Parts: sequence; C-alpha cells; structure tokens
Amino acid sequence: MTRPARQKESRSLRLYARLLELYPPSFLQRHRAEMLQNFADLEDAAASKAKLWLLIGKDLAMSLMSHFFGSRLGHYVIAVLVTWILIFAIGYFFYGPTPGRPALHAFAGFLPGMLAMYFATRLYGTPQNSISHFFRSRFDIYVVGVFVAWILLFVIGYYIYGPTRGHPALQVFGGFLPGMLAMYIATHVYGMP
Amino acid sequence: MSKSRPQLPLTPAVFHILLALFGKERHGYDIMQQVRADSGDAVKMGPGTLYGSLDRMIEAGLVAKGNTQDPRRIYYRLTALGQTTLRAETERLSRAALLARRQLGSA
Repeated sequence: MTRPARQKESRSLRLYARLLELYPPSFLQRHRAEMLQNFADLEDAAASKAKLWLLIGKDLAMSLMSHFFGSRLGHYVIAVLVTWILIFAIGYFFYGPTPGRPALHAFAGFLPGMLAMYFATRLYGTPQNSISHFFRSRFDIYVVGVFVAWILLFVIGYYIYGPTRGHPALQVFGGFLPGMLAMYIATHVYGMP
Repeated sequence: MSKSRPQLPLTPAVFHILLALFGKERHGYDIMQQVRADSGDAVKMGPGTLYGSLDRMIEAGLVAKGNTQDPRRIYYRLTALGQTTLRAETERLSRAALLARRQLGSA
C-alpha cells in the first residue's frame, strides 16, 4: 500500500509530520519514514478522521510520555512534580483551603510553564544563547509572545480585580514564567531526550 | 533485559508483536493490523507505540530488522530468543488460564 512519492500529501499527514518533531531526534532518524508511511496507510483505511485522530492522539500521548520519562530530563520533571505535591500537601496541612496563599497557587502555574517551554524547545530547536541572535529565531518569538501575553493578562486581571489578594488566575500565571525558566535551564543542563 | 534468557511476563503489546512476527517477516503497518486482528481489537497500537516497542525488543534481542531497501517499509523478524520467549510466555499464560478455569469451575 506504499503511496507514490509524487501524490499530494493530505493536511492530516502534514500535521502528523509536524507532531513527529516532538519525538527525540535519534528515534525519528530511525523511524520517521516508516511512521509517516504508517500514518498514510492508517488514513487510507480509516472510517473517519475522528477515529484516526483518536488513535493517533492516544498513541502520541502514551509514546511521548514513555520517551520523556525515560530520559534524564524526565527524571528532573518527576522530581519537580514530587516536590510540587509535597509543597502543596504541606501548605494544605498548614493553611487548609484558605484562599490567597500565593505560594501554593503560583506553583500550580509552574508545571504548565515547564510543559510550554519543553514543547517550544522540541518544536523550535535549541535556543540561541547569543544576544545578537535574539528575536531572530521562532523560539525567541514564542518566548517573547508568552511574556507579552503574561503581562497583558496580568494588566487585565489587575484592572478587573485590582490588587485582590489571592486571585488564582493571576497567581497561577505567575508560576508560569518560573516554570518556563526552570525548563529552559534543565534542557541546557540535562539536554533534550 | 538479558539477551540469553526470556524475561517474563511480557506486556500485551510485546506478546502480540512477537505473535504477529511468528513465522513471517512483516513491516510496521502489517504488524499493527495483525496485532489488532489477533487480539480481537483489544490491542490497538499506533506508530509511536509500535516503534518504541520494536526498539526495545531489538535491544533485548527478541526481534531483528530484515533486509530492506525502502526506508518506509522496513521488515522485522523474530530471532531465536524471540521465538523461545514467545513459547515460554504462551506456556505461562496457558498455566494461568488453566488455573483460573479450575478455580472458576469449582466456585
């Protein structure tokens, strides 16, 4: 069922090819061509796009987690996760469900921040360290975009709620940037899986 | 995983991949379809899960790559250790099924 090379690629196949970039490069070097061919075959045989993407979505989630948590970077994230649960448990023990505990709320934004930076590094490559290259790569544009979004959200939140202590939306987003920074440092220290 | 002795029990995915490759070299898509048919749709694997498992099975000496020119259609085959492991796991599952039948029958 091998497709002729000149046949036009579907949008689904192009999207899948983009999503494959989330896998480690060594894995892709061995299997990229096979995986694209398999996807094309699955797409040909699929009863509907929804069923196809349900299978592919589950497959991507499971196999990416397996690759990620088997790496040194994955072990670092597990350590962060355990720390997060411990801090949250200790904080809950002392304060209960008291609203307005910034340390607890802010830490909730930490994990999505790490995840966002991980995807950025995987999709846009290792960031340039030189300041002269700043704003020239898609990675830098992504980080600046997130930073601007963060400021906007904070300003809007502050405008609507004022200096309300403990508004979760603001505090969770506050943890987002430290999360991104932690993952940025981790990818440099441990390397990408 | 040792390359000289079968490591049991196997995961359902590994067991079904070994079963699909018994007696026949297959490429990735063919393995996926065969696994799905053999398991009665119970084990549905996508490309990421399949090639992750195949990498680990090659590393463990259970499976080897066949000779192939087309990088989109790489064929895989069982090694001697893969066959031994498949037989050992089948025996283990049979004993477990027999025990379960006995206990369920007497209940």
